[in-house]
Amino acid sequence: MAEVEKPRERCRTGIDALDSILYGGIPRSNTILLTGSCGTGKTSLALEFLIRGAIEGDRSMFVSVTETTDKLLANVIRYDFLDKKLIAEAKMVLIDLPVIYERLGLDKAELTMEEVSLLVASILNVVRELGIKRLVIDSITSIGYKLKTQEKIRDFILRLSKGLSALGCTSMLVSEVQPGTQAYSTFMVEEALADGIILMGNMERRGDLLRTLQVIKMRGTTHSRAKYVLDLTQAGVLLVPLLKGGSVNL
Amino acid sequence: MTLAGRVASELEQMPPSSAVSLQVGVDYYLDAIRAVVDIFSSKRDVDVIYITATISYQAIVDILKALEIDASKVHFVDCISHTMMGASMEGSQVLFVESPTMLENIMLKTEYLMRKSTAKEKLVLIDSVNTLAIHNSNYVLSEFLHIFVSSLRSKNVNTLILTVIEHTTPELNNMVNLVSDSVIRVKEEEEGQR
Repeated sequence: MAEVEKPRERCRTGIDALDSILYGGIPRSNTILLTGSCGTGKTSLALEFLIRGAIEGDRSMFVSVTETTDKLLANVIRYDFLDKKLIAEAKMVLIDLPVIYERLGLDKAELTMEEVSLLVASILNVVRELGIKRLVIDSITSIGYKLKTQEKIRDFILRLSKGLSALGCTSMLVSEVQPGTQAYSTFMVEEALADGIILMGNMERRGDLLRTLQVIKMRGTTHSRAKYVLDLTQAGVLLVPLLKGGSVNL
Repeated sequence: MTLAGRVASELEQMPPSSAVSLQVGVDYYLDAIRAVVDIFSSKRDVDVIYITATISYQAIVDILKALEIDASKVHFVDCISHTMMGASMEGSQVLFVESPTMLENIMLKTEYLMRKSTAKEKLVLIDSVNTLAIHNSNYVLSEFLHIFVSSLRSKNVNTLILTVIEHTTPELNNMVNLVSDSVIRVKEEEEGQR
């Protein structure tokens, strides 16, 4: 008799509608590309993923690449469920990547292949030492600009996702794309390496601008491929199905 | 029994998680609102989420105040003030949707208010399908009603879909009937018969 395959353990995002779209959550240890143009809610969604995880006992880490974490917290939506204790007690850790660059002597315009390895090893060390189970890097695109070549970017993502997976850490790599583009990433290698792609966008319909979310791929689970409309609220990210009608993507 | 009292007592018969088509003659609009907000909701300790596309939330609050009706348990989703360039800052009792064409946002704001509500029972009042039909095609409106009402049912929330009889087409009636479990009709001739 054939052995029944055990279902993959899920990492519930805590965003009810997204967990429902993913039939229970992200398969644990997957690396997800969270992609979209500016103002589509990527950072807010990623933060909620971490906060909800920290509340449930998954130690979480946010790696900020472009803006300081202080500025991030000042500007981000004030979630009702964000207890500052989570940060004070290091259940949710916020790291400024430029500080790590500086400590490792990587604060320069372009990194070599060896330096890419050093950067990956440093991130994985922190994840291992702190027992991080959920990680967000915001954004992978900004790191990509420092790596310059597709070869180095591919190497960075491959090593990182393999290492994170081995540590049982579920991760979201935030990717920025230009409005109106059909691509899921800037350097065209990120989407092929990720286990999943969540695409966020702005959609214009008869003069109204709607924020949308669509799961393009997710290894290890069946999922809805429909487009949803989202709202960023103090109670978290809310989603409803997009009503079918004439639309133009931005 | 007053007209508002009669409507409220019919609302009392609403089974849980049901959708009711509330058809009112244009002269009985205020009686219907009074029935829902003043008598039904306060008696049953129900939080009302009032989706207004017809007149602004401020106008409704002013009317309720003038009628000395306690509206503290009513939370509004105002879909019309922005369009009239009349939306002020969001208060604790109101959320604005930029346009009555943003039907998904109506669902989202309602979901948010439901999450915030601590009341055991919740009622969503859609005022009115006639006004939403001015801004949306029947196809999209029909899709919206089906998804929205089904979603509310699944969360054990009652829905009241208000239509103004004089402004309603048979097509609009069919659309509302399709998602409703029962009809409460308030018009002059019915009133005269009682």
